[in-house]
Amino acid sequence: MREFLVDFEVLFNNSIFYYAIAVMISYVIFTLLSAVEMNSYMKKNSYVNYREILVSPLAPSVSILAPAYNEEATIIENIRSLLSLHYGNYEVIIINDGSKDSTFQRMFDYYKLEKVDFAVNYQIACKEIRGVYKSKLPSFSKLTVVDKLNGGKSDALNAGINVSAKDLLLCIDVDCIVQEDAILKLAKPYLEEKYQVIATGGVVRIANSCKVEDGKLVEVNMPRNLWPRFQVLEYIRAFLMGRMAWSRLNGLLIISGAMGLFDKSVVIKVGGYDHNTVGEDMELVVRMRRYMYEQDRRFKVVYIPDPLCWTEAPADLSILGRQRNRWTRGTLETLWVHRDLFFNPRYGVLGMLSYPYWFFFEWFAPIVEFVGISVFILLAIMGNINWEFSLMLISMVYCFSVLLSTVAIFFEEMSYKQYTKGADVFKLLLAAFLEPILYHPLTVIWAMQGNIHKLRGKNNWGAMTRKGFKKEVVNQTENTAT
Amino acid sequence: MSIFDNIFHYIGQLYTDRLPYFPTNIRASLMIILFCVIAAIEIYIYILFKRIVKMREEKQIKYWKEHIGNVLANIIVYDETDNTAEIISHFYPRFKKIPLGNKIVNQIVVNEILLYRKNFTGKTAEVLSQLYRKLNLDKKTRKKIANRNWDIKIEGIREANEMEIVELASAIIKYTDDENALLRMEAQAAYIKLSAREPFHFLDRARERILDWHQVVLFEIITKNKKLTIPSFSKWLYSPNDTVVMLCLKLIEHFTQFDAEEELKRLLRHHNPKIVKKSVEIIGKLELANAESFMFEIYFDQSEEIKLEILNAFGRISSGQYADFLSSRIYSTDIKIKKEALYAIKRDPDNGKNKLREIYNQTTPENQALIKHVLDDRIKQE
Amino acid sequence: MSRILIAEDEVLMLKALEFKLKKDGYEVDMASDGRQAMEKVKANTYDLILTDIMMPFVGGMEILSFIKNDPLKKNTPVLLISAVGLENVVLEGFSLGADDFIYKPFNLNELSVRIKRYIKQNEFN
Repeated sequence: MREFLVDFEVLFNNSIFYYAIAVMISYVIFTLLSAVEMNSYMKKNSYVNYREILVSPLAPSVSILAPAYNEEATIIENIRSLLSLHYGNYEVIIINDGSKDSTFQRMFDYYKLEKVDFAVNYQIACKEIRGVYKSKLPSFSKLTVVDKLNGGKSDALNAGINVSAKDLLLCIDVDCIVQEDAILKLAKPYLEEKYQVIATGGVVRIANSCKVEDGKLVEVNMPRNLWPRFQVLEYIRAFLMGRMAWSRLNGLLIISGAMGLFDKSVVIKVGGYDHNTVGEDMELVVRMRRYMYEQDRRFKVVYIPDPLCWTEAPADLSILGRQRNRWTRGTLETLWVHRDLFFNPRYGVLGMLSYPYWFFFEWFAPIVEFVGISVFILLAIMGNINWEFSLMLISMVYCFSVLLSTVAIFFEEMSYKQYTKGADVFKLLLAAFLEPILYHPLTVIWAMQGNIHKLRGKNNWGAMTRKGFKKEVVNQTENTAT
Repeated sequence: MSIFDNIFHYIGQLYTDRLPYFPTNIRASLMIILFCVIAAIEIYIYILFKRIVKMREEKQIKYWKEHIGNVLANIIVYDETDNTAEIISHFYPRFKKIPLGNKIVNQIVVNEILLYRKNFTGKTAEVLSQLYRKLNLDKKTRKKIANRNWDIKIEGIREANEMEIVELASAIIKYTDDENALLRMEAQAAYIKLSAREPFHFLDRARERILDWHQVVLFEIITKNKKLTIPSFSKWLYSPNDTVVMLCLKLIEHFTQFDAEEELKRLLRHHNPKIVKKSVEIIGKLELANAESFMFEIYFDQSEEIKLEILNAFGRISSGQYADFLSSRIYSTDIKIKKEALYAIKRDPDNGKNKLREIYNQTTPENQALIKHVLDDRIKQE
Repeated sequence: MSRILIAEDEVLMLKALEFKLKKDGYEVDMASDGRQAMEKVKANTYDLILTDIMMPFVGGMEILSFIKNDPLKKNTPVLLISAVGLENVVLEGFSLGADDFIYKPFNLNELSVRIKRYIKQNEFN
């Protein structure tokens, strides 16, 4: 027995070691790819005069789709800032998803709405649209409000797609702070890529503690609360390093639900957003990619590293936990629905690289970690631990994750430098030391909870989404495991 | 010995005496730890260093921006009647005091002159151009164009373009078909502005694609430049380069060049659906009634997208020839086609709206809803 | 002395306009973004307002619509500076009550003549 345990410990140490090495190598590769992509993006776009698309009649037309559910406190401001974005040809469609508060009434009064005779073409199934409204005032002519029965975020977006009169769809969370040049930057890849672009995504940044006036970001600050600060680090890492690299490989799976620009014709062809998943943003991109492969059409999903969208991150641990729990379920659902992609050569990068990566390193990583730590504790209790060696292995993973965060901060410093104050950068670097100990274990636990909830509650999928999305629904980002 | 000494001693031992006795994975992890620590420290130092340098630089830049801005603003507020040469010679000594040898300062001067040159016309522009030469900045621009790096080249071409240094046109033409798309576009844009005799010569030789984005840029330049003599763009509609055809179609549309009619009819049978669609659109916008029968001929073989465009064109032309055809389309199974046909009927300047009201009384409830939608002017057409 | 507000986010352009209008003998007030401009418009009265359409935080259109909807200020001439030649932007501007559009690039001397005319016109009203 004793001998077996010793053998087991060696085996255990080795397998953890090799999995860690595999993860680390993948991160090193991604970091390098991101560096290349960032560099070429920055160099290419330093010469660009975005005003040219702004003024051009040749620029693609854009519909902004923003679902609103119980947003009475902020809806007027949010719409106002959406109406003042810098772009020529666009419309704003607010979908009131059966709010139970006075969201609709407020919009109706402030924007002087009136019902129009809109014959909705239900190209994508969605809950009944009660009415389509436009403003009587010429200064709000860009605004359309859709009033519909409650059906959840995906359903609301689908209703918006049915009403949209433009070529591209900018799907956003209504409470996000959108940078004024966001559409310009997201639309540009549609005009310059050799292959058809089906979607572009932007960076999501965290707005906690930042100064916001009239729905616009005035001053960028580091969140005072520690939990959002960890998320800043997490987002920078995920967006500047992870997604940039995937964009380079043309294997991007997620366009953040908080902001993404899609080709309407393809979205309609694939049937819009799926109601049956809580990870509708990821699922849509996977389905659009699939469709393009099945049509044998060459395409790209592009990712823009500029900070275009700012969102309030949950500062409360229980809300944050629910968010991560949901992300895990979303990932699992998408992976399950599209399980035939797994190492399927017919689907190119999607089948051979993106999907397996997501499976092994995004979904599976927290499980490996959880099991690893549990076994470690078990062995420790039984007294079969070489403490020195274990400490070294743990130190290695710790040092690597600190380095990775440091490199991410370095990327940010070299590119956008949103945190202009030196003290803020110092705080961020400090957070990199604490994150693996304080924050990361929580994300592992939340991911485990998500998996368990999913496996136990397979048959109550619908009930979870039909409640409508709440304030705390922020957006989907990679649940980066470091 | 203090506790720190102990720790240092222990770590030292790990990497020296004890190292050979560890199993491979432990040795590897020790190495990785060492690497991570060193790399992280280097990054910290670099970030700190960079921040300090940047801070100093920014102070300097702020000072010179303010200073140079003041001098320049003084120059450009002169009246239309003042003599250019006099203005320049009056202010030249002030510029001599600015350290133009300093790279950063030099770039600020260039950028500021460029910005004013871009935003003002008339006397101001003239004064700025002369000042640019007087400061010998045009020579630097020429050098930049001859540089080996494409990004420096672009910088130079852009300066030449914005300052309208026409002598450099001949140095720029060779880049109008360069493999580097960014350089190519920049050169084409500059060439249009700088070449006095044949600004569109590059279209004859363009083999590389003109990306949509570049078409936007070129379109802006061509349509906003009032000094340009606009040729008949139909002569490039034969180009084997589809992107050249697309660009010319957009320009034909903008300048309403009716002489392209025959070419447009021919393009209805082009192999590229984008070109077909654009041709149909232009036929509609130019109201070329003679082309209606050609569009009708191809109608049934087209994709939905082009069908919609053809219906739209019929609506714009409203010759009456295809009124029955449009009316029949409202019984299509495709809602988009129905809607487009109804919009086309509505466009008839004589009695389009009345006609829709007539149809309303004798059609299906679904069509009635669509007619209401189409008649509602508050809703914009797709 | 007539008082003019210039709202323009490009510092250099702001400076050039300031110098020119001061030289023409006006009292010049400046705002380098839309928010500042809005505050100034609310707090003071001007004889003419010259504003860029594209500005951070608050656009020129919003400032225009604020002035034209204020019974005390609606007679103040508003000139919009714009690089945007899009038809719908121009239409929107005029429908909101803009007095004139100035397209970039423009002639400074011509602008100064126009401003003189609008201020004179307004004095008679």
